[in-house]
Amino acid sequence: MIIFFMPVVQLLILGYAINLDVKRIELAVFDQDRTELSRALVGKFGANSYFEPVAMEDQDAASLLDAGRADIIVKIPRNFARDIGARDNTEIQILADAENSNIASIAVGYTQGLLRQFWTGEVFRKVKLQPHLRQALHLVSLRPQAYYNPELVSVFYMVPGIVVVLLTVITTLLTALGIVREKEMGTLEQLMVTPIGKFHFIVGKTLPFVIIAFIEMSVALLVGTVWFGIPFRGSLALLALAAPLFLLTTLGVGLFISTISGTQQQALFFAWFFMVFGMLMSGFFTPIENMPRVFQLLTYVNPLRYFMTIIRAVFLKDSGAQDLAGEILALMVFGLVIFSLALMRFRKRIV
Amino acid sequence: MRLWAVIKKEFLHILRDPRSLAIIVLMPLLMIFIFGYAIDLDLKSIPIAVVDGDRTAASRSLVSSFTESGYFEVRYYLDNAADFEHFFRAGRIKGGLTIPRGFAKSVATQFETPVQVIVDGSDGNVGQTILHYSEAVLADYSVRSGPRQLQPLVELRPRFWYNESLESVNFIVPGLVAIILMMVSALLTSITIAREKETGTLEQLLAAPVRPIEIVIGKVIPYIALALLDGLIIIGAGLLIFGVPFRGSPALLLAGTLIYLFPCLALGLLISTLAKTQQVAMMQALIITILPSVMLSGFIFPVASMPKFHQFLSSIIPATYYLRIIRGVLLKGVHAAALAPDALILLCIGMVLMVVAVKKFKIKLD
Repeated sequence: MIIFFMPVVQLLILGYAINLDVKRIELAVFDQDRTELSRALVGKFGANSYFEPVAMEDQDAASLLDAGRADIIVKIPRNFARDIGARDNTEIQILADAENSNIASIAVGYTQGLLRQFWTGEVFRKVKLQPHLRQALHLVSLRPQAYYNPELVSVFYMVPGIVVVLLTVITTLLTALGIVREKEMGTLEQLMVTPIGKFHFIVGKTLPFVIIAFIEMSVALLVGTVWFGIPFRGSLALLALAAPLFLLTTLGVGLFISTISGTQQQALFFAWFFMVFGMLMSGFFTPIENMPRVFQLLTYVNPLRYFMTIIRAVFLKDSGAQDLAGEILALMVFGLVIFSLALMRFRKRIV
Repeated sequence: MRLWAVIKKEFLHILRDPRSLAIIVLMPLLMIFIFGYAIDLDLKSIPIAVVDGDRTAASRSLVSSFTESGYFEVRYYLDNAADFEHFFRAGRIKGGLTIPRGFAKSVATQFETPVQVIVDGSDGNVGQTILHYSEAVLADYSVRSGPRQLQPLVELRPRFWYNESLESVNFIVPGLVAIILMMVSALLTSITIAREKETGTLEQLLAAPVRPIEIVIGKVIPYIALALLDGLIIIGAGLLIFGVPFRGSPALLLAGTLIYLFPCLALGLLISTLAKTQQVAMMQALIITILPSVMLSGFIFPVASMPKFHQFLSSIIPATYYLRIIRGVLLKGVHAAALAPDALILLCIGMVLMVVAVKKFKIKLD
C-alpha cells in the first residue's frame, strides 16, 4: 500500500515545488511622469500575469527593497513622454532585489521584455514622432512557436525528472542499507555459511527493489499523465528497455556502496553523496550545456544524466532508439562496469 | 560529570568512524563546488539552427546579432524549417530561427517584418527563456537599425541590489548552511539514538546511573558541535573561495544558528522516539526534515510561485525562517530587530516539537 501511496504523494508535492517558474513578481512602479504614456506603461505591468503590483506611496525605493516588500522597482523619470525622440537622457531605471540571483535575473528579464514590448508596441506605433523619425523606424517582430509543449509548462519537464530521482533514491539507498544492515547485525556471515551462493544472495537482495522500482515508475507515470496532464508521446517499449539498464547502474552503485561501508550510517552517507552528485549533475533542473566544460565532462560519468535525457525525450518528443542510442549504450556500459566492480569487491570482502 | 561521560562516549563514536566524518566534511564542500560553479540558471550559448531563406546582408546581420548577444550559438544552417524537429529529437539544438525570403526587402519597405523562432518546448523554462532572449535580440536589432534619437531609451540598465554581480553562490551558501545544519543535527541525532535501540545498547545505558535527560543532552551536544563546524566550513569556503559577502554581525549569526538548531534537534529526537531501526529513522529524517528543507524552504525554488498548500508547508518548516536570518545577516547586513520575528517563530516551532518529543520519549522509557 505504502509503495503505491508514496510516489503519488511525493510527485504531488515535488511536482509543484520543484519549479523554477518565476511568478508573482512583486513590482512597484515609481511613476514620476504621470502622463498618458507613463500610465499606459504602469497599466501594462498591472495586466501581466507575471507581476503583482505593489502600491508605492511616498516611500523611497531603498526602504521598499530593504523591507522585502518589492522584488523589482521600475522608475519612470519626469518628462519621460515629452523627451522621447527629443533628447537622449530619458532612462527607465530598474532596481532589483538580487538576494536570489536566479530569480532576480529572470524577473529583470521579464521586466525588460515587457519594457521592450512597450517600446516597440506603444512607442513605435502610437507616439507622435517627427516624420523623419517615423520614416526611419521599422520593426522586426517575433513569431514564436513551441514544439511539444505549446504552453511551455515546466511541470512537463520536471515530473519525468523527479521519477528518475525517486528511482535512484529507492534502489541505491535501500540496496546499500539492506546489505550493510546484515553486516552490522552479523547475519551476513550466517547467510554466507548457508548453501546460498553469492549470486543468489545478490539477486535475492536486489530483485525486490527492481520490482518496487518498476511499480513506483508505473504509478509515477500514471500520476504524471493523468494528474499533471503530461502527454506521453513516445514508445513505452523503449522506456521499458531503458529502465532496467538504468536500474542496473543504480543497483550496482548501491551494491558497491555496501562493499565499502561497515555501518548503515556510512552507507547512508555514501549513498547520499552519490545522490547529491547524481541529481545536481544530471541536468535535472539546470541544463547541462549551461555548466562549465569541466563539469560537463563530469556529467558523462553520471548514470542519472542518461536516463534523465531518455525519459524526458521519450515522454515528450517521441525520440526513437536511434536518437538515444548514445545514452542507451552509455547506461549499458556504466551498468556492467559498476556491477562487475561491486561483485568483485563483494567476493573479496566476504570470502 | 555523568553528562560529560555521555558526551565523551558520543564523541568517540564520531571520531572512530573516520569515513562518516570525512563525508560530513566533504559533503558541504561538494555541494558548494557544484552549486558555485555548475548551477547557473542564466542560459548562455544556447544551441540553435538557422534557416536563412533570404541570404542577404540584412539577414546575415540579423543572424549575427543573435550570436553576438552571447545567448545563442548557431550550430547548423538548414534548408528547411521542417528539419528542426529531427534535431530537437536528438537533443542537438534547442531552438530554430527562420528568416523568410524577401526579409531584406520587407525591412526596407515595410514597418513590420516577422521572423519565426521555434523552440523545443520540452523544457518549458528553457523554451520561455529562448523566446524572451529572441524578443530582446529582435527589439535591439530594430532599434539599432532605426533612428539614433530613439536608441538610449532601450538601454535598460538594471541595478541589482545586495548581490551586484548576480553570483548564485551568494544565494546558495546560506541555503547550504541551513540544509547541512538540519542534516547533521536532525538526521544524525535520530540515527545515533535509533542505533542504540537497534543494537539493544539503549537499555544498557538506561540501566546505568544516568538520567534519561542526561543521555539525551549528552548525545545531542557533540552533534551541535559538529553542525557548527560544518556551518563554519561552508561559510569559510564561501568567503574565501567564492567571495561571498559577510555584511552583518557574526555574533548575530551565531545566535540565530543556535536558535535554529533547537527545532532541528527536537525533530531529530522526535524521529528517534518514533523509529525503532536506523533505516526507518533515516527514511523518516529524509522525508520529514531534509526533503522539505531543500524543496520548500526557498533554498532554490521560489516559494511565491508555488500553490497555496505548498506555501503553507513552507511556512511551518524551520529552514524557511533560518534562511531569512542567514541571508539577511550575510547579504543584507540587517540588524537584530529585523530578524526577531523569524527567531521567535523558530523558538515556537522548537518548543512544540520538543514538548511532543519529550512526552513520547518518556513513554518509551517506562
